[in-house]
Amino acid sequence: MSATGALKRIFDWKVRGVRWVEIIGLMLVAAMIFSVYLAKAAAASESARIASLERQITQNGQRVRLLRAEVARLEQPGRLEALSRGAGLGPIDVHRQATEASLPELAPIPDPEPVVIVAPTIPSAPADTNPSPDAGEVAQ
Amino acid sequence: MSVHDDPHAWNRPAPGRPGGGVSMPSWRWLTEIMWRIEHSFGRARADARPEEDTRVRIFVILCLFSAVFVCLALGAVNAALLAPRGGVGLIGHPNAVSRADVVDRNGALLATNIVHYGLYIDPAEVWDRRAAAAQIRRVLPRVPASRLNRVLSGDRRLIVMPGLTPGEKAAVHGLALGGVSFEPEDRRVYPLGASATHVLGVTDTGGQGLTGAELAFNREIRDAGARGENFPLSIDLRVQGVLENELARAVEESQAKGAVGIIADVQTGEILGMASWPTTDRLNRATSAHYEMGSVFKTFTVAAGLDTGRADMNTRFDASEAFMIGNRRITDFHATNQVLTLEEVYLHSSNIGTSRLAVEMGPATMRDYFTRFGLLDAAPIELHESARPRRPGKWDDSTLASLSFGYGIMITPLQMSAAMGALTNGGRFIPLTLRKGGLPNAEVRQVVSPGTSLTLLDLLRRNVVRGSGGRADAPGLRVGGKTGSANKLVNGRYDPTHAVGTFAAVFPADGPLNARRYSILILIDEPGSYPRTGGFVAAPAVGRIADRIAPFLGIERRADQYRTALGEKIPAFEDVEGDGR
Repeated sequence: MSATGALKRIFDWKVRGVRWVEIIGLMLVAAMIFSVYLAKAAAASESARIASLERQITQNGQRVRLLRAEVARLEQPGRLEALSRGAGLGPIDVHRQATEASLPELAPIPDPEPVVIVAPTIPSAPADTNPSPDAGEVAQ
Repeated sequence: MSVHDDPHAWNRPAPGRPGGGVSMPSWRWLTEIMWRIEHSFGRARADARPEEDTRVRIFVILCLFSAVFVCLALGAVNAALLAPRGGVGLIGHPNAVSRADVVDRNGALLATNIVHYGLYIDPAEVWDRRAAAAQIRRVLPRVPASRLNRVLSGDRRLIVMPGLTPGEKAAVHGLALGGVSFEPEDRRVYPLGASATHVLGVTDTGGQGLTGAELAFNREIRDAGARGENFPLSIDLRVQGVLENELARAVEESQAKGAVGIIADVQTGEILGMASWPTTDRLNRATSAHYEMGSVFKTFTVAAGLDTGRADMNTRFDASEAFMIGNRRITDFHATNQVLTLEEVYLHSSNIGTSRLAVEMGPATMRDYFTRFGLLDAAPIELHESARPRRPGKWDDSTLASLSFGYGIMITPLQMSAAMGALTNGGRFIPLTLRKGGLPNAEVRQVVSPGTSLTLLDLLRRNVVRGSGGRADAPGLRVGGKTGSANKLVNGRYDPTHAVGTFAAVFPADGPLNARRYSILILIDEPGSYPRTGGFVAAPAVGRIADRIAPFLGIERRADQYRTALGEKIPAFEDVEGDGR
């Protein structure tokens, strides 16, 4: 019975004849309506942005398709061959072809030259090897 | 005075006996509960606690409403949080198109959809009609003048011209004319122009395939488009390009009326290149034109002879004199006038020898083998254009003799390509396909034994090294093949000025039966230059094509027992005859 009594007291807790429970409930409802409004507004602006991005993607996609088609047109084998023949190019004669494995035969790796150890030369004067602007001025 | 009804005024049925004729168990259960509740009210009143009655009713209604709202709330939460991703708003793929891009096996673009624009003009909004017409005609020369003037002098918005490219649209838009508007329309574009045009085919403006692969794979291309994917064909654009260029060169050199080239993978049946010349002709000669191909058929006759065990390479055939069948006299183009082994029959392309072999084998065997090689049925491929051959009406000895060297039956080049593939891959007839990777579950049938296939491969190679196909050799690529030269039937007579020169090749011809191997078929229709034989008009193109496509296909140059890797002769083998027949 005590629990029921506590519940009853909360229900009977009033200010100026209005139950607090109702006031709190109304405030909660108002807060919820406001937050839903905010969420909806945010979602609407997001979806507008998404729509504009999607439109851009579609336009770019169409442009990409157009450019791909253009590339394919420019790179078609018949055109390339005509251009290459015009530039004096042609299939390579079999005698001038080589595989990677035959490279050592064609150009043997030269024997490593005997390593000559040269004593480091000591520069006679720094001005000789790296003339400074001052030296130039002196020459003038 | 009670607000409650007199309980005895109700005609209340006993619990467990619901009225109304509905007898579903759940319904009965519900009515029982209801009546029990009602009954409890009566009991409460009987216990002199009438206030309980109203409260209980309010409580029950409260519970019901709460339950309904909880259900709604749960539903809302479920829809908001647990809805399937992409189920709302996004329907289909963002890159979806009505028809997928068709690409080659390496992803090179063959056909695509580009948004074009229809040009609309509302004359009511045009300031100066004459100036507008002049300006539009200046930036868009292909606009029909009569149509433009009719729309401009009309009184409502009408289409002037469909299919403006984005560039043309920009040019017209740049004029900043009033009353001019554009509406997007999807158009199929073939950026390669005439290249591979017969393989690809065309679509109608509604986006349905009409010919070629566009028709054959119509549904799959549309499905791939809906998924935003490309649709790959088995074509290799590099191979196709070489084939087309060399075919055009061969046609130019031989001044021919038409030409066909097919390159296929004999192990998978994939078509790597297919060309039909002239490209302006709607007819795809590779799939739909019929030819009597001549000596190329000797390959099949010899294969049948070897496979049945009727002959081996050393079996002798008397070609010392013409072979008489009734009144018909079969002679050789290059009479050797001696007894030939089967190998010599093949290398000398002896009509007498193959005729004798065919007649010996008889109609049943010949028919059986021709059926096995697919020479009596349309070539199995996805293309709807693949035509049925023109078959002989009767199978008497004279017909058999004709068939043995490629007369009396008209087949499509595609059938020849499929049959050559079967002969050179170990004897398995694999349906040709334009699908990348081959047919997933192709019906493969064994047509000749692997041994016969191996023998034929060597024979084809010998024919290039020592026989009539010398011009088809490519250094180090072990090309094997058979020439074919036939005259066309013109006004009831075989006219030597209307010839067909063929070369059916395969490379590399050595190695195990399941090694990678490609067939090349070149057919030159009515060459104008002399000599008109396959060894002169078609074989050189085969050699050049093999030479150029080998790097793309990853075929390495190697020596075999006849030639070095650089194409020099190994002296034990000499040309027996360099006449190219």
